[in-house]
Amino acid sequence: MSDLIVGISEMKISANEDDDLMTFALGSCVGIVVYDPIRRVGGLLHYMLPDSRLDQRKARENPEMFADTGIPMLLRSIYRLGGEKKRMLVKVAGGASILDDVNFFRIGQKNIMAMRKIFWENNILIDKEDTGLSHCRSVRLEMATGKVFIHGSGGEIKEL
Amino acid sequence: MTTADRILKSISTLPAFPATSNKISQIVSKPTYSLNEVIDVINLDPAITANILKMANSAYFGAAYKISNINDAVSFLGEDNLLRSVQTAVISKYFKLGAAGYFCKRTDLWEHSVAVALMAQIFSDMINGRGNNTLYTSTLLHDVGKIVLGEYVRDSLAEISNLVTEQGKSFPEAEEEILGINHADLGGRIAAHWQFPTEIIEAIAFHHRPDLLEKQDKIMPWVIYIADQACLMLGFGNGVDGLAHRAVSPALKKLNIRMKDLEASMVLLLDKLRQAKELIEII
Repeated sequence: MSDLIVGISEMKISANEDDDLMTFALGSCVGIVVYDPIRRVGGLLHYMLPDSRLDQRKARENPEMFADTGIPMLLRSIYRLGGEKKRMLVKVAGGASILDDVNFFRIGQKNIMAMRKIFWENNILIDKEDTGLSHCRSVRLEMATGKVFIHGSGGEIKEL
Repeated sequence: MTTADRILKSISTLPAFPATSNKISQIVSKPTYSLNEVIDVINLDPAITANILKMANSAYFGAAYKISNINDAVSFLGEDNLLRSVQTAVISKYFKLGAAGYFCKRTDLWEHSVAVALMAQIFSDMINGRGNNTLYTSTLLHDVGKIVLGEYVRDSLAEISNLVTEQGKSFPEAEEEILGINHADLGGRIAAHWQFPTEIIEAIAFHHRPDLLEKQDKIMPWVIYIADQACLMLGFGNGVDGLAHRAVSPALKKLNIRMKDLEASMVLLLDKLRQAKELIEII
């Protein structure tokens, strides 16, 4: 079995049942897992910011950095490996904020909103979501089963 | 003896802060000096020499060719970068043991400290058009209190976490309530024990609550605060405290930066961190 580690502003795709896809320490960043249980293809994206208009040169170099360029890229990569939209499971985690985060530093909130809007516009339902609050999350996708696990910073693990 | 007393007492067991960096800043602040004076001081500490060589070869300091001896390193780096690399080498020694209790990995606290130091320089550059050595030292040391407080946090983690999740306290507030002191305040006292200037002591002690510092004209604690929060949001070195920290509302306004600047600085930080991997790898 091999662990494929997804860093910040990165994405990994797999069609190998022996793989686990993992990303660590999602704070305000968001991790998106997509998985087709019939074709057993899946992917994990760890994006940092909501909107690529901030820096379009960067978005061309590193589309995985932004929700609006990273998520379409993730979907295309899954389709290319035979994954189908109607069977696809979508699970998301992250988008945390610091406390009393009302009028500034709202990057976690903006990251969540951006992702929901993109899935809505593409007629894709989000199956499970563990977002917001003020704690960090790590995410693991088991390619063999399609199960997604969330690891908290205190060591607790739950299935999403 | 209360827990807080025991914690404060353990400060005195920390080894003294090496005089190397102080001596070097004294030398380079003279109107004239020779590089040999600097090299002589560095050569007294072989561990620091090796680390300065490593850092001189880092893309962060602009290395374009391989630098293989300390004479070349000192003349290549120039004053500001030399002082920063000496400071990094000296401070990294204290971070070798990590801060178990806060983090799973021994190297997490150092990675976080370097990330915050680089982020603070990005802000300083944005605000003043240049970096700042005092700021660099303060940011590298901002969480030094965690090195001492870690074992106490580990023993009382259930109680501390309970205050955070049940009562909505920030992690430092919960530390203070359960242990009698928080890691920022403790860090300030460690810096005082090491005889750092007041400016640095205060910046460390108030890095989670710059709004509580009386001298509101000082910008440095605010820069450290925002750089720290930004790195925590990005997941660079979050421990058990996660994002359980207070949002101090006027922060962006205080530095006169917009949300968009904050986001742009995050993009820049990813590049800088890639260039600076030698700084992270020295421990």
